[in-house]
Amino acid sequence: MELGIKYMASNLGLICLSLALLTSIFLTLSFIKHAIFKTDLNYKNFYFSFKFSFFLIVFAFIFLIIAFIFSDFSILAVYENSHTDKPLFYKISGTWGNHEGSMLLFILVISLYGFLFIIFSKNLSQNLKSVTVFFQSIIQIIFLIFLVFTSNPFEKILPIPNQGLGLNPILQDPLLAIHPPFLYLGYVGFSLLFSLLLAALVTNQYDSSWASIAKRWIFLPWTFLTFGIGLGSFWAYYELGWGGYWFWDPVENASLMPWIASTALLHSILVMEKAKKLFNWTAILAILTFVLSLFGTFLVRSGILNSVHAFANDPSRGFFILIIISGLTFAAFVIFILKSSKEVKNNQSYIFLSREFSILVNNYLLIFALAVVIIGTTYPIILSVLTSESISVGPNYYNSILAPFVFIFLILMAMGPYLKWGKNFFISIKYRFLNILLGSIFITAVLSFVVQNYDIIFWLGILCSLYLLISIIYEPYYLKFNNLNFGRLFSHAGFGLLIFAITLNHFFSKEFTAKIPIGKSVTYENFKITFIKSSSTKQKNYDELFGYYEVTRGNSTISLKPSIRKYHQPEQFTAETSIKNKWFSDFYLAMDYSKDPSNGIGIRFYFNYFVALIWASFILITLGGFLAFIQRKNEKSI
Amino acid sequence: MKLFAYIFFLIFFTQSAISSSDREIEIYKNIRCLVCQGQSLNDSNSDFANDLKKIIKDKIDQNETDKQIYKYLVDRFGDWILFDPPVKITTVFLWIIPLLVLILGFYVLYKKVNFIKNRDD
Amino acid sequence: MKNQFKILILALVFIIFVIIFYSALGTNNKNNTQVMVSKKLPRIELTSLYEEEKKISFPKINHKDYYIINIWASWCVPCRDEHPFLMKLANENKVKIFGINYKDSKMNALTFLKELGNPFYDIGIDSNGQNSIELGAYGVPETYLIDDKGIIILKHVGPINKDMYQKIVDKIK
Repeated sequence: MELGIKYMASNLGLICLSLALLTSIFLTLSFIKHAIFKTDLNYKNFYFSFKFSFFLIVFAFIFLIIAFIFSDFSILAVYENSHTDKPLFYKISGTWGNHEGSMLLFILVISLYGFLFIIFSKNLSQNLKSVTVFFQSIIQIIFLIFLVFTSNPFEKILPIPNQGLGLNPILQDPLLAIHPPFLYLGYVGFSLLFSLLLAALVTNQYDSSWASIAKRWIFLPWTFLTFGIGLGSFWAYYELGWGGYWFWDPVENASLMPWIASTALLHSILVMEKAKKLFNWTAILAILTFVLSLFGTFLVRSGILNSVHAFANDPSRGFFILIIISGLTFAAFVIFILKSSKEVKNNQSYIFLSREFSILVNNYLLIFALAVVIIGTTYPIILSVLTSESISVGPNYYNSILAPFVFIFLILMAMGPYLKWGKNFFISIKYRFLNILLGSIFITAVLSFVVQNYDIIFWLGILCSLYLLISIIYEPYYLKFNNLNFGRLFSHAGFGLLIFAITLNHFFSKEFTAKIPIGKSVTYENFKITFIKSSSTKQKNYDELFGYYEVTRGNSTISLKPSIRKYHQPEQFTAETSIKNKWFSDFYLAMDYSKDPSNGIGIRFYFNYFVALIWASFILITLGGFLAFIQRKNEKSI
Repeated sequence: MKLFAYIFFLIFFTQSAISSSDREIEIYKNIRCLVCQGQSLNDSNSDFANDLKKIIKDKIDQNETDKQIYKYLVDRFGDWILFDPPVKITTVFLWIIPLLVLILGFYVLYKKVNFIKNRDD
Repeated sequence: MKNQFKILILALVFIIFVIIFYSALGTNNKNNTQVMVSKKLPRIELTSLYEEEKKISFPKINHKDYYIINIWASWCVPCRDEHPFLMKLANENKVKIFGINYKDSKMNALTFLKELGNPFYDIGIDSNGQNSIELGAYGVPETYLIDDKGIIILKHVGPINKDMYQKIVDKIK
């Protein structure tokens, strides 16, 4: 009986995928026929076939999950990435823990956004709506072809193995299991905006009402992407055991690139909506956002990067992704060049210190940051091709270049929202800015004196983030409640809090490493760490060695219990951190695996400040994005 | 109240001297563990990382400067081992390109902005 | 006309983009193991495996021939794979091979040689791996070919295979 379900799932999965591909091709062709011969198109059927292809993809995905749950090792992807001893949760998450499954998830998200768009776009003309769905299904077809022909998740293996190879232990973590779906809901979601843009260009409806509708299709994926990045950072903090939350690792940068581009976009589109300017630039950003999402996929999936986030990958597929990226982008830019609206010349200037001016500066700074991240990530790759030299670009590069601009950016974020569209309103409210500035200078000075830190970077970080936070707190005081934009307030407050927390964390966190034998202790500054005892347990898929430690500081003692896991399939060691939060600080302890524990087990101890605030700010930013998404006040219809 | 509490908390911790182990960690953080996946020496516990740490520690004890230590490593393992890229002809674009973006962006911005004093009222 | 020009530029950009990243897929943009090649062999001094008082120092001064330095250990599995090639190099190609016994016990090392044959002209001990790092080594096994002027002309990370053997033979001719 179980056997029957197993084989049924694998066969049905491939059938679903093929049918989805055929359906998408069919609906695309029927639309082309309609466009060329001006025949009538039955919109209802047209949308229905897209929805049908979406459900087929959903079923294919479900069948793959079933194959993983029942450990159907006749499927290559299951054999390579699963094992019967794995807990159910990781069997399921194993579905997207490998290249094939994650590409299927990728397509599922493309399709999902098309589906959501059809359902939730009531105030759109059939013309614009159908062309958007047409472009979305073209993207879907391209990736389905890529999936079926280069990385078929249902590929069979003969003879059928009895046991699978297992999932990379570092991926067996609840956070990492749910992290990729959120990232995909984020950056793959920008595909819909891309289609919507192309559709608007082709049908000559690229105007400010388009912007009012397109906005939410930026906010939704942006929210997911922010959350996904936050989860990734959270995972790195808890799982990697290095005490940090952001490493400027190439894979992290790959998700940061579309985030920066989309953040620039969701500001520039406001100018397009409210001031009827910046049309061409917004279009370029929209294309760029999606391209960078694809480019990130390429970097991560092609095996071109050396990263802490190890994935199973295959260089030969990289070539296909490369062709897809270039093809899609090239086509998009050609459409843009041919159809872009000619903005009126005298509409082109921006009044100094007007709201649109502040967004212009915002975009300038974001593009600069984006350029730094792109160059830092790709330069080593390009250099190795051209000169066979290899270099690393690490955190210092990014921090040193970007830090000064973050401060300017914070001030801008604080002032921008107080400015008025189309006029210089600054003079009338200069005292408001001054008051807030004086207030934040005062608090910074007090804080700096109290903590005895007189570093200029510390001052700037605290001052600028406080300035932003206080501006936001005072906004309800100056504006009517109804006029408050909670989406923006939340995400801006989140960003201010983030920089505030990062600054404090950077200046006050401590770390140290030592080797301690059982029963002994070491002291570091005013910490005393004692290794009390160890114990071990056996789990289904790993053995675990626990260490019991006591950290004493002053007269308070905290006990921590980190561990080392030895996974069986495949055999690999991971360190599980033990983190206890007290007030605003984390006591963070991780053990090192050691072949010879007789002269002590290596530990790394981190005393981290304000990490909890960093997670809180991620949540605030995400919440802000979500609020912006559900707020549809100014949406027009086309 | 809470603000007050954490300020107190902070006072407790900030009298720190840069001890040698802090300097070690600073250096370890800038060195890639070549046999690992994207980890720094500080983050790694591999044999290779531990051997290198020992060598670096010895060099610090012999009062070598950071520069000398980095040179020693680069001579043997190449630039790849340092997370901070060295500045030379082939890498200088890492800084020049962002600078160009910055200048070009500023130029475009300057051209677009209308500096009429006040159009208010 | 202006549009066509823009599109042409765009096409060029994408072609360059594809070419660069396609070739990047094939090249190693990560670790370059050949940094030490064509540099002078760093000075190291090792204790002999056989006599505790005897020191072996590199580079060999006034050495008129090419010689090989091989880092090995009895616990290292790939070292067993490359051993026949070392034997061949020592016996057929008459090249002097100096062994660096890496993080090993004397007993095990000697048993290993008894079992598989001894291709080494002389062996020094690197008990904590520090001397190997001085040479720019990552681990075991690793092989260096040094010319008559004390310059490293070939470095190989990992076990010697057929191709590498042929390469060494070609160099020492």
